[in-house]
Amino acid sequence: MDKNVQEERFMEVIKFTPPLYKQRYQFIKDLVGKYKPKKVADLGCADCTLLWMLKFCSCIEVLAGLDICENVMKEKMHRLYPLPGDYLQPAERSLTVTLHHGSVADKDPCMLGFDLITCIELIEHLEESELEKFPEVVFGFMAPAMVVISTPNSEFNPLLPGVTPFRHPDHKFEWNREEFQSWALNVARCYNYSVEFTGVGLPPTGMEDVGFCTQIGMFVRKYSQTSETAHFEKPTKAAYKTIFKAVYPSLKDEKYLQIAVVSEVVFTAQVIKRSLMNHFNSEHEEYSDGPVEIKSKFQHSKNCVSEDLENLAVEKCMEPSVSGNVVYIPLTKIFSFPKVNQLCGTFEKLCKLITGKVTLSSDGSAMVVDTEQENEEN
Amino acid sequence: QISAGFQEMSLGDRGGRRRDFHDLGVNTRQAIEHVRESKTGSSGIMIRLSTNYFRLTSRPQWALYQYHVDYNPQMEARRLRSALLFQHEELIGRTHAFDGTILFLPKKLGNKVTEVFSRTRNGEDVKVTITLTNELPPTSPTCLQFYNIIFRRLLKIMNLQQIGRNYYNPSDPISIPNHRLMVWPGFTTSILQYEKSIMLCTDVSHKVLRSETVLDFMFNLYNQVEEQRFRDICTKELIGLIVLTKYNNKTYRVDDIDWDANPKCTFRKTDGSEISYIDYYKMQYNQDITDENQPVLVSQPRRRRGSLMPGPAVLIPELCYLTGLTEKMRNDFNMMKDLSVHTRLTPEQRQREVGRLIDYIQKDDSVQRELRDWGLSFDSNLLSFTGRVVQAEKIHQAGRVFEYNPHFADWSKETRGAPLINAKPLDNWLLIYTRRNYDVANALLQNLFKVTPAMGIRMNKAIMIEVDDRTEAYLRVLQQNVTSDTNIVVCLLSSSRKDKYDAIKKYLCTDCPIPSQCVIARTLSKPQSIMAIATKIALQMNCKMGGELWSVEIPLKQLMVVGIDCYHDTVSGKQSIAGFVASLNQGMTRWFSRCVLQDRGQELVDGLKACLQTALRDWFKWNKYLPSRVMVYRDGVGDGQLKTLVNYEVPQLLDCLKSVGKDYNPRLSVIVVKKRVSTRFFAQSGGRPQNPPPGTVVDVEVTRPEWYDFFIVSQAVKSGSVAPTHYNVIYDSSGLKPDHVQRLTYKLCHMYYNWSGVIRVPAPCQYAHKLAFLVGQSIHREPNLSLSDRLYYL
Repeated sequence: MDKNVQEERFMEVIKFTPPLYKQRYQFIKDLVGKYKPKKVADLGCADCTLLWMLKFCSCIEVLAGLDICENVMKEKMHRLYPLPGDYLQPAERSLTVTLHHGSVADKDPCMLGFDLITCIELIEHLEESELEKFPEVVFGFMAPAMVVISTPNSEFNPLLPGVTPFRHPDHKFEWNREEFQSWALNVARCYNYSVEFTGVGLPPTGMEDVGFCTQIGMFVRKYSQTSETAHFEKPTKAAYKTIFKAVYPSLKDEKYLQIAVVSEVVFTAQVIKRSLMNHFNSEHEEYSDGPVEIKSKFQHSKNCVSEDLENLAVEKCMEPSVSGNVVYIPLTKIFSFPKVNQLCGTFEKLCKLITGKVTLSSDGSAMVVDTEQENEEN
Repeated sequence: QISAGFQEMSLGDRGGRRRDFHDLGVNTRQAIEHVRESKTGSSGIMIRLSTNYFRLTSRPQWALYQYHVDYNPQMEARRLRSALLFQHEELIGRTHAFDGTILFLPKKLGNKVTEVFSRTRNGEDVKVTITLTNELPPTSPTCLQFYNIIFRRLLKIMNLQQIGRNYYNPSDPISIPNHRLMVWPGFTTSILQYEKSIMLCTDVSHKVLRSETVLDFMFNLYNQVEEQRFRDICTKELIGLIVLTKYNNKTYRVDDIDWDANPKCTFRKTDGSEISYIDYYKMQYNQDITDENQPVLVSQPRRRRGSLMPGPAVLIPELCYLTGLTEKMRNDFNMMKDLSVHTRLTPEQRQREVGRLIDYIQKDDSVQRELRDWGLSFDSNLLSFTGRVVQAEKIHQAGRVFEYNPHFADWSKETRGAPLINAKPLDNWLLIYTRRNYDVANALLQNLFKVTPAMGIRMNKAIMIEVDDRTEAYLRVLQQNVTSDTNIVVCLLSSSRKDKYDAIKKYLCTDCPIPSQCVIARTLSKPQSIMAIATKIALQMNCKMGGELWSVEIPLKQLMVVGIDCYHDTVSGKQSIAGFVASLNQGMTRWFSRCVLQDRGQELVDGLKACLQTALRDWFKWNKYLPSRVMVYRDGVGDGQLKTLVNYEVPQLLDCLKSVGKDYNPRLSVIVVKKRVSTRFFAQSGGRPQNPPPGTVVDVEVTRPEWYDFFIVSQAVKSGSVAPTHYNVIYDSSGLKPDHVQRLTYKLCHMYYNWSGVIRVPAPCQYAHKLAFLVGQSIHREPNLSLSDRLYYL
């Protein structure tokens, strides 16, 4: 399945920058950036390079790969596991990556409900019998909102020396533009999709009429699918074997959300406490140093008096207070910090998540933090 | 030629992959005649122990078959080579390990040379020749490597994340929000040939990560310090730290911060095109860089790629997580306390966690299948065997003999208020304090007056000097008041600010060599503990002035014990310091010391030779003869550095001894001391696993057959599991029985004067560590030699 290597060997004369396979992947990435699909599947995913690139796209929540060759998928599939960083700061979105071993000629319910299905350089590897079943499986059964199919444009082949008869020995056929387009239009008509054609790999100047090196068909489903009715009549028997599954940590998962919130809350409380204590200590020092500073302090507080009383009252209940060896930090104050706010969304959620994880005042309205630790450090 | 070897030996060299971390193939025991037959000791009481080792068992007559695979015509791509080979799976079988050239199989193919034909997709026929090159017995080094590879496969199957050399489970993190820390539980594992069998050693390991990026960290710091000092402090804090990138599973060491660069800067990609970091990370990993003005981190590559040294890696702070602990964090008592709650496991917990891994291996189907296919399996029980607990030592102090509870390994209560072996008078000494600490200074003075008479220390009132709380003020006071008659200077510091401490130490260790004692005022703030602390300070001051506290019985005569340890300066990154101490008398109560400052890439050995020479000269001055035995305890040896130590350092030490005189031919022993080992022992008493008592010696089963090595548990711990110390005698012409070497080693663990108890390593190692640390952290050059016969670095 050395598609890419093989291709590059032929491309010595005509050099594509970036390499053609990268252009194809970039094409998909751009598409994902534009349409923001949530569920994406790559049929014929080979060594999962495209899937690996797509896992960084933050719109995608479900990513699936299918290939007929288990070994080639396994070779680099470890790249699809979450990274330590994914655990350290779990993302907002959830992401599940699954790899299946199976044929595009078979139907499996795990491929239902996708927004985008890509078939990059796939169809030319299919035997005639498989190619026959392919439209029914992909467009009829899987019926995603969008399908992208890329395949070599045989009109370009004369520009690639050494291509006899095909670009890759495993190719069963290579179509010219007319052949591909008539097949695609027929499929689109049959399954109620619209199709547009484009490609990557521009021909050299003067040879524009041969078209792109890789031709691409973009299919968009013309009807909208209410997921329930659509799935009802579908068979539920699994035909693929799942060989890999990774669930990424996400803030949608209560466990990770709680860790993140508690962590942020405690940290925020420390920041508030520290600035409060600094203020406290510096006041202390100023007093012992001389009367000059006291005067300026007084002037400052005098100015405050003129402020709106009501405003002051609101602020007061937001202000942390020191009592003995502890500081009371109102949860409302903590909630007003953007990061905490953003994580929890609502004040109720904040209260719910930190209950039992941090020390609260008896009425539950404020967090209690020891000042002791800080003192020892000084 | 030799210098090539030395380069490996350079102190700074600790990282780097592909090193043999287990020091395989260093067979030192065979050269030591008197331990070839037996290296076990005999004294002490037997104790039943178990340990975190599991036997690896293989089928009878098990062997690993190694093949070489050739292709005709030549095939380059590894993937293609695999595909062509595995077209013949019916011949090779499902179980195999293949790296593109070398094939390992658990079975023997019919013929020595097997030729098969495969067809590429181009229809090209390729002849694949599979030649048997080796039939490996289970104990061969290649097999050991192979087991470790297979075991790593298993850990991956179990979904553990590899970070560095260990594996961690990130889905059950322990979060310590106070300090923005994340702790991942995990395991260290290694499979090696031990004394009698091949075993898996596995221990619980915790990876400390931080749930903040380097950029978060920078912002936080920025808010805490003055603007003009920010860059300086930030550089100090970050350099030497290991960061983990967000977008791939790689770790880098921060070597520099480029404040002039930012993510908008461009770099040249391998294809020659220029791209900015922002665009690159967006394109490659879809990572958005939000702060365009942040500086960038620079990491120098540690290893060569082929013959080429790759250029430095540039990292974006926003995309890097911090890992591990900084020196500052390690010194933060509260943080370490919070951390230890999670990472310090009792013997019972530890044994349970280790058992859990083995359980998992036994129960997981895919793991079991993989093992079965290779014909391997692991014992499900911890290895158990018998160790010895050697006799407790008696503490001798000025004619009196003290016994103490050996389980606590501490005699501070027993010896409190007893006269010292050698008490130095405090006739003329300074006590420097800030105005704020006037009361504390007086309290210290009063309490010293209370505790010193019993120790036999004669004490006059200190010359009390008040000082402004500024570094320059301290230095000025020192310059004006310290004379050659000053016994010691005591500085009462109001905070643990390092710069003040460093300046005082630097001045009093180099320019004006007088012992000094810094005390942070806070430690004296609690009235109920001030007397106990004053006692400790009095003892410490006495040592620094050349006094002696206690001794244990040392039966060997004319013995000089040497301790060596290294400190690696991570901040300035360039220097490494070796501390060297050598005993001066029979009771091991006086120590000579020197240190070697070594720039990166320089050799340590020359410096050590000079140290040993001066130590012998000093010994002669004290004793009027030369020692007939020299025993070197060498600490600070990294994993995989043993070979260079054996090949270069030992010969140099021998050379040095030879150069002293024609007829001088002392016996030399060199013992490598290692504190960081994964080995843990559990004493099975009362049905519950417990820490083995201090004095436990193990020289069977978990030692290595090719070494003259043993473990000693010398210290007692209040919580968690005790860590044994590993001793490896790599050279020994002493002819001493193993039992005597073990006993002597244990005795030396009693001789560290900063702790009235038994410590983890022999006192000379700890002294050498202290010295190297002081010089590396604060002084940065060799202290004045006039201090060299005192423990001024305590």
